[in-house]
Amino acid sequence: MSRQASRASESKKMNSELFTLTYGALVTQLCKDYENDEEVNKQLDKMGYNIGVRLIEDFLARSSVGRCHDFRETADVIAKVAFKMYLGITPSVTNWSPAGDEFSLILESNPLVDFVELPDNHSGLVYSNLLCGVLRGALEMVQMAVDVKFAQDTLRGDNVTEIRMKFIKRIEENLPAGEE
Amino acid sequence: MADEALFHFLHNELIHYAYKSAEQGEVENGRCITRLENMGFRVGQGLIERFTKDTARFKDELDVMKFICKDFWTSVFKKQIDNLRTNHQGIYVLQDNKFRLLTQMSAGKQYLEHAPRYLAFTCGMVRGGLSNLGVKSIVTAEVSVMPACKFQVMIQKM
Amino acid sequence: MAVCIAVIAKENYPLYIRSIPAENKLKFHYMVHTSLDVVEEKISTVGKALVDQRELYLGLLYPTEDYKVYGYVTNSKVKFVIVVDSSNTALRDNEIRSMFRKLHNSYTDVMCNPFYNPGDTIQSKSFDTMVSGMMLQAC
Repeated sequence: MSRQASRASESKKMNSELFTLTYGALVTQLCKDYENDEEVNKQLDKMGYNIGVRLIEDFLARSSVGRCHDFRETADVIAKVAFKMYLGITPSVTNWSPAGDEFSLILESNPLVDFVELPDNHSGLVYSNLLCGVLRGALEMVQMAVDVKFAQDTLRGDNVTEIRMKFIKRIEENLPAGEE
Repeated sequence: MADEALFHFLHNELIHYAYKSAEQGEVENGRCITRLENMGFRVGQGLIERFTKDTARFKDELDVMKFICKDFWTSVFKKQIDNLRTNHQGIYVLQDNKFRLLTQMSAGKQYLEHAPRYLAFTCGMVRGGLSNLGVKSIVTAEVSVMPACKFQVMIQKM
Repeated sequence: MAVCIAVIAKENYPLYIRSIPAENKLKFHYMVHTSLDVVEEKISTVGKALVDQRELYLGLLYPTEDYKVYGYVTNSKVKFVIVVDSSNTALRDNEIRSMFRKLHNSYTDVMCNPFYNPGDTIQSKSFDTMVSGMMLQAC
């Protein structure tokens, strides 16, 4: 990972490390608190959801993105605006299902896993599972029920990190937001 | 390059997690704070290792504290510590008049009560950073008037 | 080309030590142990300008008949020791410096791995790979 940082982006980079390390501390704490990887994955998803339902407001306020007309537009906004704004990366949107209700986000790099080496005894851990919860929570707030999961993970030996997103249904506006 | 907002959201969720599984009572409150502090400690160790990779060797303890107040604080909180005081006998007080993790909160009385939760992780970071530089300490914090707070570092002789 | 590379914790026990060839392992361990005294001397010297006090790189710690031992101390008080073959006259000071730089960068990455517990021995695959690269390099 080459980091040719100028003074200006230096502090931004440092801040990114703060997030990465904090996330790492959270994951390892969860690993200590819960007996198995599956439970940790669930917790990460839950916590991600809690973050997502609040993050969406921050996003809508700062991005001046209007209402998305279809799932394709949503995918583009997620990849080109949201990921860029919060993680400084722009995943590519690919592998659309014929029905147009499912797609993949391919991440060449994932700031959450900088410096991380997964030990052998955590082969079932989906380290970045927080992201799935965040996406799910955020989209629920804009009336979209989605299913999000990791299809590939560089930490587990794959070449890229792939997040698969599937549109389930539209949520009626008058249902209150659930908090777990 | 993660956005600052993302850290704030994560930090809040960390606090929520530390407290949700706890029961009522003073003891539990202490345990939650300790958990947050411990997570901060590990992060502080890592951050300091990165931040001091290209810096010159530190001269002495005061040199280290100044680094924490200037470079470390700026890298982590985008601003320096506003005021550093010491009794030259191992006690340092770091004052941040606009602590970034408190600025999101209102200044109401009920929030003051919860303020320690928002400081625990940072206390840990400072303690972890110092520890990795060979300085053993106890770090506590208090809020008098939001969003200003003071971090007190007590150096422990090894 | 290094024949031995070691990472020593601030409490002076090894976090990582690798040497070639295998039969000289004990000799190198002893050499690294001895070098720690020289390191202490170099960094605790006050007033005597043996080495630029602000520099992390300590330079040549001591030579033996067959080897040269170099040292480096991070701000976190972790010591790196590199032993090279004396006959390798082509190896310049700035090359040694760059080897330490690589070591330092990789060590920092290890410290930032949340699954690594500071103080434990280093068991990182990427760290191993980096060290291998320095030991098998053609001179």
